[in-house]
Amino acid sequence: MAEATEFDAIVVGSGMSGGMSAKELCERGLRVLVLERGPEIVPERDYSDQLAPWETRNFDSVSQDEIKRHYFRQYPGVPYALKESNKDFWVKDDEHPYEEAEGTRYEWLRGYHTAGRSIMWSRQTYRLGPQDFEENLREGVAVDWPVRYEDIAPWYEKVETFVGIAGSEEGLSQLPDSVFQPAFELTEAEKAFKRGVETAFPGRNVIPARVAHLTDATEEQRSLGRSNCQLRNRCHHGCVFRAYFSSLNATLPAAERTGNLTMVHNAIVRSLEYDPEGNRVSGVRVVDAQTGETRTYTSRIVFLNASAIASAMILLQSTSESFPNGLANRSDQVGRNLMDHVSGAGAAGIMRGFDDRKVFGRRPGGIYIPRYANVTENDKPYTRGFGYQGGASPLGHANGQIPGIGREFKESHRRPGPWRVSIGAFGEQLPNPDNRVTLHPTKRDRWGNPLAVFEVRYSRNEEIMLEEARTDAIAMLEAAGCEQITSSPVNLTNPGNRIHEMGSARMGRDPADSVLNGWCQAHDVPNLFITDGAFMTSSACQNPSLTYMAFSARAANHAADLLAEGIV
Amino acid sequence: MKTRRDFLRELIVSVGGVSALSTLTACGDAPVVVATVAGEPGRFYTAEEMALVSRLSELIIPRTETPGALDVNVPGYIDGLMADWASEETRIAHRQALAEIERRLSANGGFLALDEVEAEQVLAELDRSAFGEAADELGGYRTFKGYVTRSYFATEGGAREEQQWVAVPGRWDPDVLATDRQGV
Repeated sequence: MAEATEFDAIVVGSGMSGGMSAKELCERGLRVLVLERGPEIVPERDYSDQLAPWETRNFDSVSQDEIKRHYFRQYPGVPYALKESNKDFWVKDDEHPYEEAEGTRYEWLRGYHTAGRSIMWSRQTYRLGPQDFEENLREGVAVDWPVRYEDIAPWYEKVETFVGIAGSEEGLSQLPDSVFQPAFELTEAEKAFKRGVETAFPGRNVIPARVAHLTDATEEQRSLGRSNCQLRNRCHHGCVFRAYFSSLNATLPAAERTGNLTMVHNAIVRSLEYDPEGNRVSGVRVVDAQTGETRTYTSRIVFLNASAIASAMILLQSTSESFPNGLANRSDQVGRNLMDHVSGAGAAGIMRGFDDRKVFGRRPGGIYIPRYANVTENDKPYTRGFGYQGGASPLGHANGQIPGIGREFKESHRRPGPWRVSIGAFGEQLPNPDNRVTLHPTKRDRWGNPLAVFEVRYSRNEEIMLEEARTDAIAMLEAAGCEQITSSPVNLTNPGNRIHEMGSARMGRDPADSVLNGWCQAHDVPNLFITDGAFMTSSACQNPSLTYMAFSARAANHAADLLAEGIV
Repeated sequence: MKTRRDFLRELIVSVGGVSALSTLTACGDAPVVVATVAGEPGRFYTAEEMALVSRLSELIIPRTETPGALDVNVPGYIDGLMADWASEETRIAHRQALAEIERRLSANGGFLALDEVEAEQVLAELDRSAFGEAADELGGYRTFKGYVTRSYFATEGGAREEQQWVAVPGRWDPDVLATDRQGV
């Protein structure tokens, strides 16, 4: 089949940020090629959200031997999301190996297919606040962000209106309100927890989690076949109602209906070709995942949205006389400053007084406690901060782990039992140039591309912060009147485990110490843009997908302007 | 009047048909839960193990106004779990747990030969100690009880009729009276 190879723009990756880049570029009238390294996902065929419990076997669990053989890194990282009926959404570890520097661990948790991890994400959606763009400069950490909150605020608004976010207006400066659809109301136990915490700690707030679920779908959303959340909590399996946001549920269909989108699957980008005379990316070289053949696509601009790690690896693989250390890497910052969020501290307790209550529906989110450390409370032995995710729900009698047999035991499952409040911290990780991904000098994957080698360690700041987060969590549960409070010793999650990797091609003001300018445009190569997590100059502590999408939309429109003006 | 054992025997006979039908689901990749009969081997269980698991399951989750563990073929579910999901290590641990449970229950005569009242008494006693003074030695029993309970609620009868599970709730109500029998 003859296939077009020349486009106005090529977007590498179809996930959270690639989908938004493609949508915006297509809507600006550009002919866009999206390259996806994995196979096509067809919702009607590949989503498993409609299966009832009895339509799967073995509790929908992947067999223990298969986990050892194929999912030995993925499954321990996401046991809550990787099931027998959706296991194909996750890579097989034996087919996609990587290495870690001695004495370090990294969890690279991935899905290679249409829409990438936007299908499997947990949909927590928050803006960064003004402080997040200013603290590097104030503290002399890494480099200054070349943008401020005001630069990105209108793009947050544009993206949120399209995406659809359930949340409540709180007026918090550090966690600005989004454009919201109605929030999922807190449970009575959560309301009691909120009262207790906010009374005892005036600078802290307990709010409904902000999640990318439709609760009052707009006309635009309905026109894309999307409808309101049905409270099934089957989201890790896809959603035939298209109620939660993913590229496949929203941005890719929006791009497609412009008539400007070409999507090619099974196309693994090997390298970007560089034209030194024009100082531009002149082609995108791919290897076909199925046939192993290579081919080249060309375009006027290129957007890397392959994920922070893969985008850095593509640059490092793209060597030339002009760029012996990798394309757009004159700063030597490509692959460095790799960050994630850090968890592993939290607490839980029993909230009395609600044993006669239960809920109806399976809510896809819980509560959120926005960052207060070094915002409303400035007495901390660490810098930056963390937010907590959590919720209160009836303990129930899960898995039969209560005494008794017979009718009484059977029917005890009808009673919700006591309510349990649980919160866990998501902390900011400071950028450090020694935390990096590099290419293995000799080992290659089955497509001939170098293996990633990770070397990432937490700093003392993260360790101290999480110890304090545990102490704070216990104090808040106590203040709210919880009983039987339990809290495991702090055990930091491995880097990568939060699946928020970022920072590997950071933005900055100076080409000598950063890869991208404030428009996510490579300092060294003007027709190259990177709008996945790679651009993040610091990690903040909020779940980052919304920020990736806002910067993608902003960069795409800027790139379209530059094209229109003939500048790139 | 029928003894519980008579009742169980009839039930077990009826289970074969019911569970064979239950494998015919709308899903293309239908679960393979083989119909089981106490006293006949399964894909993993020996005939003796199947008899023990059948007896225990029905005592733990009996038929009431809603189906019991045998009505929905919990033994077949766990048999499939061991055959298809469990690693060799898990299988060995499960076999050992069943042997230990039977040994303890048969202190005053074979458990499977006990009448309904006696069987219920000795199992209730074992259950009490498994969540009390013998917690350390009876972890295998608690794991087994977990399999029974999870299996029961993973079946159509357990989920729909006892748990009132609803496929598409369609709305969120954060505050419902616990006595309300509307679904989860």
